[in-house]
Amino acid sequence: MATPRHLLLLLALALAPLLAVAAAEGAAEEGPRGRRLLVLLDDLAVRSSHSAFFGSLQARGFDLDFRLADDPKLSLHRYGQYLYDGLVLFAPSTPRFGGSVDQNAVLEFIDAGHDMILAADSSASDLIRGIATECGVDFDEDPEAMVVDHINYAVTDVDGDHTLIAGDDLIQSDVILGSKKIEAPVLFRGIGHAVNPSNNLVLKVLSASPSAYSANPKTKLASPPSLTGSAISLVSVMQARNNARVLVSGSLDLFSNRFLKSGVQKAGSKKRYERAGNEQFVTETSKWVFHERGHLKAVNVKHHKVGETNEPGMYRINDDLEYSVEIYEWSGTSWKPYVADDVQLQFFMMSPYVLKTMSTDKKGLYSISFKVPDVYGVFQFKVEYQRLGYTGLSFTKQIPVRPYRHNEYERFITSAYPYYTASFSSMGAFFIFSFVYLYHK
Amino acid sequence: MPRATSDAKLLIQSLSNAYAATPTNLKIIDLYVICAVATALIQVAYMGLVGSFPFNSFLSGVLSCIGTAVLAVCLRIQVNKDNKEFKDLPPERAFADFVLCNLVLHLVIMNFLG
Repeated sequence: MATPRHLLLLLALALAPLLAVAAAEGAAEEGPRGRRLLVLLDDLAVRSSHSAFFGSLQARGFDLDFRLADDPKLSLHRYGQYLYDGLVLFAPSTPRFGGSVDQNAVLEFIDAGHDMILAADSSASDLIRGIATECGVDFDEDPEAMVVDHINYAVTDVDGDHTLIAGDDLIQSDVILGSKKIEAPVLFRGIGHAVNPSNNLVLKVLSASPSAYSANPKTKLASPPSLTGSAISLVSVMQARNNARVLVSGSLDLFSNRFLKSGVQKAGSKKRYERAGNEQFVTETSKWVFHERGHLKAVNVKHHKVGETNEPGMYRINDDLEYSVEIYEWSGTSWKPYVADDVQLQFFMMSPYVLKTMSTDKKGLYSISFKVPDVYGVFQFKVEYQRLGYTGLSFTKQIPVRPYRHNEYERFITSAYPYYTASFSSMGAFFIFSFVYLYHK
Repeated sequence: MPRATSDAKLLIQSLSNAYAATPTNLKIIDLYVICAVATALIQVAYMGLVGSFPFNSFLSGVLSCIGTAVLAVCLRIQVNKDNKEFKDLPPERAFADFVLCNLVLHLVIMNFLG
């Protein structure tokens, strides 16, 4: 029985898409990623001990859903739709996740193009180690090991076991770490990892110093440590080919309020910083991981003959053409023009026949004009732009190139006049010869 | 080398004596062939000077000369009275073949000349 209330509901359902469209138009520009994050903790105390980091995420507009890692109702997707756009995995010691989530579910989540921050510490479980290994990062297998550095440690009140590292060997990349240089060392206490050498998508963001090693700090070293020196990575990032970004840190404390707020003095250095570099480091790297920076998009791919504006369905060999594309970078709030001088266009058929660097007007428009090569076939306009820290741009547009039509060739070329003359003279000679041959006496 | 020179002289003399006995119609054909081959050679020399750019024009120019020369040689073989192979072929028929082949050749040349 359709009561008036049911009818109202139906009406609301019918109008919902229209309202949604209207709302989207009114709202600010749409970013490349959604803002729903799932935060998995193995102790809800982490929510308060790391509140400054979570607060900075919330202040940037993220919608955080705090859940215990063994919550039996845990699920990443429902009815084939992901419920979250990113994952913060602050549950180093959890042996298995609750609900339907397991290692494969997390990896599928990343394969679907979502981002993740994973923090481990010395209690890291096999589950966390397994996820990290799948992301190209191998934690030290010794469960007791921590990163120890007897030279580049942070000075504390009591002379401890030198596991509190003051790391300052950061990656040279403005796009990952922000344009403002991180002056103070970054405090780190946790386990080290090695970057899988066969995986070229992983980058060391914070490396250990050459004097560091990974071993159990409480016992004497029986054998040489397996991980030593700057081969140890403290924090790594991975950008997958689908532009999913993953940050792996060997220290959960790196994100904690205590490290964010504390001062730092590196051993052997007179200079004492009021604040460790952690706050800036975690803010900037989380901006990168959740695509608030370094995300490129290409729009308005256009090409046409010089002097025309319409896009033809086909070019002729030796045509002069112009190609243009607009590239923007997401700044966290809006799409800003991306300015670089190394964006190249390929005119490609099995191999690039033309490879040229496009010129830019500094407002995001990249353009190039060139002559179609003297080869016909099915070509592609191809832009492959992979730069450290930026999402990869890869787009192609197929275009056939035809030879000259029969009536498009040059006629009456001056240098060919002798040949014309010869041809006609041999015709004339034929007539004269026939005449002479037939009528001679 | 007076002996070699006199030998060459003798050779040329005997050749020209023998050639004087050739019928006039064959001599006309010979002249025509020489003209055609000379024109072809001039064009090859010209191509060596200016380059092979309108290559189709060059080919049609040279091939029209070579082609007419080849056809004329064929005609000469067929109308030669000493040639026993074609003694059943009337010279009128040979000339008609020659004309037809020339027409086809020049049709192709005109199309290829560009």
